[in-house]
Amino acid sequence: MTDTAQATEPAVADTQSSAVTTSPTTGEPVRRFSGPWWAALALRNAMLIVVVLVICYFSYRSLRFTSVENLTTILIAAAPFALIALGQTLVILTGGIDLSVGSVIAMSAMAAAAVAKANPGQVWLTVLTALVVGLVAGAVNGFFVSVVSVPPFIATLGMLTAGSGIAYAIGGGAPINGLPAEFGTIANTKVLGLQIPVIVMIIGIVGLAIVMRRSAYGMRVYAVGGNRAAAEIAGVNARRVLFSVYAISGVLAGLSGVMLASRVISGPPNLGQGYELDAIAAVVIGGASLMGGRGSVWGTALGLILIQTLNNGLDILLVPSYWQDVIKGVLIVFAVAVDVWTTRRRQ
Amino acid sequence: MAAVLECQDLHKGFGGIPVLNGVSLALEHGTVTALAGENGAGKSTLMKIASGQYRADSGTVTVDGAELRTGSMAEAHRSGVAIVPQELASLPDMTVYENLFVGQEIRRFGVLDRRAMIRQAEQALAVFDVHIRVTARMRSLPVGLQQIVEIVKATRTGAKVLLLDEPSSAISEREVAGLYRVVNRLRDQGVAMIYTTHKMEEIRALADRVVVLRDGNLVLDQAMTGTSDEEIVTAMIGRELGTLFPERSTAAAEPVLEVRDLQVVGASAPVSLTVRRGEILGLAGLVGAGRTELIEGIFGVRRTSAGTIAVSGEEVHRQRPQAAIRGGMALVPEDRKHSGAILGMTVLENGTLPRLASFSVAGWLRNRSRADKVGAAMRSVQLRSRGLGQEVGTLSGGNQQKVVLARWLTGDVKVLLLDEPTRGVDVGARSEIYRIITDLAATGVGVVMASSDMPEILGLANRALVMRGGAVAGELSQDDLGRPDVQARIFSLAAGLDAPAARGPSVTADGAPGPSVATDGGPGRTVTADGGAVTHGSSALLLDATHTTPTAEDPT
Repeated sequence: MTDTAQATEPAVADTQSSAVTTSPTTGEPVRRFSGPWWAALALRNAMLIVVVLVICYFSYRSLRFTSVENLTTILIAAAPFALIALGQTLVILTGGIDLSVGSVIAMSAMAAAAVAKANPGQVWLTVLTALVVGLVAGAVNGFFVSVVSVPPFIATLGMLTAGSGIAYAIGGGAPINGLPAEFGTIANTKVLGLQIPVIVMIIGIVGLAIVMRRSAYGMRVYAVGGNRAAAEIAGVNARRVLFSVYAISGVLAGLSGVMLASRVISGPPNLGQGYELDAIAAVVIGGASLMGGRGSVWGTALGLILIQTLNNGLDILLVPSYWQDVIKGVLIVFAVAVDVWTTRRRQ
Repeated sequence: MAAVLECQDLHKGFGGIPVLNGVSLALEHGTVTALAGENGAGKSTLMKIASGQYRADSGTVTVDGAELRTGSMAEAHRSGVAIVPQELASLPDMTVYENLFVGQEIRRFGVLDRRAMIRQAEQALAVFDVHIRVTARMRSLPVGLQQIVEIVKATRTGAKVLLLDEPSSAISEREVAGLYRVVNRLRDQGVAMIYTTHKMEEIRALADRVVVLRDGNLVLDQAMTGTSDEEIVTAMIGRELGTLFPERSTAAAEPVLEVRDLQVVGASAPVSLTVRRGEILGLAGLVGAGRTELIEGIFGVRRTSAGTIAVSGEEVHRQRPQAAIRGGMALVPEDRKHSGAILGMTVLENGTLPRLASFSVAGWLRNRSRADKVGAAMRSVQLRSRGLGQEVGTLSGGNQQKVVLARWLTGDVKVLLLDEPTRGVDVGARSEIYRIITDLAATGVGVVMASSDMPEILGLANRALVMRGGAVAGELSQDDLGRPDVQARIFSLAAGLDAPAARGPSVTADGAPGPSVATDGGPGRTVTADGGAVTHGSSALLLDATHTTPTAEDPT
């Protein structure tokens, strides 16, 4: 017992700084929440419950909302957002942010449109162009963030501004119109009754969810976001991980861009403007922490469903668009406040 | 003379574990009381009660006869008790005078009177012969000057009692001289001071009286005159080591880690060391002696500019932790929360991370094998958790440290690098961690263990290096470690005190201005070395003055 006090001071400081209390006798954590099981379950799935309630409300108010055509509309509208939200999820998990995705969409869409106009009939070439443009833009972001250590907010803000300019430059300051009809096949072809973008979205969500849970790469992303110094000591090449998430985000934005351009069979240079904020909102509503290390692909998917359902449902109820913005803004903050509150209750 | 601050029979416990057991203490005007004791002896707790940050479980604190309501920092401040914490709480991007006046801004007609604040700031600093540009950013000052500004801030409004919590731990030895001068000036002004430290030379240089705490008990309280260093050291450390530390195994002859002329960026000299199979090599030294830097340099997470590192005879690429891990090295870093575990991840995930490649096929994790291996590793250290799925952040400090250590044990470890392995770990877990370390050494692992905890070095190490200024200042064999005067030897080596043998390596190193410059640098060099960081080089005045202080040896 001679040096009981030796360790007590720091140990106590530990427990004071974290929200979790430890039992003095065993050192085991004591769980503070001790309600009935259904309350615990509800707390853990608060966002899912919110989404279900919103869907129930719209279904109750409008029969059209639950029709097959409308659900298809929601999915088609969601697809381009879903891709950039997935990229954004990776970036936010590392504690960063990618503000540039809207401009990357515009750049890759314009580049794809330009290639489509010059090479009618070569649909794959246009897709490839968009992917390469997205990859390059993402790699530039990744380079500045991981190698030069420019704060992600600044690096991608620069790409947001410059990229928008480049998108206009590609079209000489005007939209690219008069594209060959084949260009429209990318977004408008149906496979197994679903449009290609919807299929890409589903594969993207499921695929990335598995990667994040089951692959070494996914674990490294969480580790770098959770504690970069500790991850490096454990042998994780943090720079490589950081570079990769921005590159992936760029590629997904490129893919999103070509699908959007294909849907309207033209290349408007302002395509994708402001999309980055909806993508960030979806990730955050899904429970991710902007500090990194916390969040999931399923959460992002849930956030995405919430935003798209709202967009669609409020349209059906003929709510004016300015009121829709107000409702969405309030809901984003409300959703995250609920998440913060339930997280605290759970501990 | 009447006591200005009096503590009567203070008791304090955290979670049922006593930290202070009836400590009584009285301070007189114009005196410096050195408060010594090892980490965790209760020094900080006592300071925090006296300054109103903690409430004592029982006992009283009185200032000038009036009882201080403990638990109220504001009231303590009003009564004239000021504290300068160990971790400076300055605002680095604000100016010096703004730092001095924040919270007590001078206003005229409702707006800030900057001119008056600048004037008063200059006056307040001039009292201590500190002549710096008060409009300079706090960040641009050397840490020693920042600390003096903090002291001036704490005492500017007429503090009667000043509590300095390990004021020298963050600053270089050269800057300590300026600190001494400020303390002496405050003593002349009649301020009663507590000066927390565990460095002998500071106690000698400053204190009128010395108080030693050990395990929450006051074990020594007497005037400095007539008190020998040995008395103080014995009071600080005098406890049984035998119970806490397991038997040491003997090291094999063959070397497992060979470091040759490794130059860590920022260190004053390259370091060479060899660790044999089964050997525990202790790294002792003061805070800032470069132990953490050396260990991180060996593991490759800190920049090194030259040298070779070999594990079992095979050279390991420098500056690449991945290569170090492949070579069989493992690192348990100093700061568990900052660089050890990833608190938001589970035990299983933390356990998997260092050897991801061995748990995955073509990038996909093999869940069965990693649960088996990580589970076995965690069982081998007797981790107490609800299961592998528990978040590491919800474990106790000792169990977190076990995770940080055990996650390496899923593979072959040849060299284990430990940096302060038991900091912030409770006693029970501490002895378990010692057992784990000796068990690993017994299986042939070479261990390098940096520690500020002297008994830890004495009780575990087969051999110890004492570091100073990034270089090795001396080496102690196992026989040396068993000698009764070993504490004093380590102290003097670490502080670069009078032992001539100890001074040699650091001074001859390469002339770089390391922390030991106070003894070997001329005035010109001293000024340029530190003044460069200060706008207008005005700190020269302060630093020149170091030559009038007790520690300076060169009066020219």
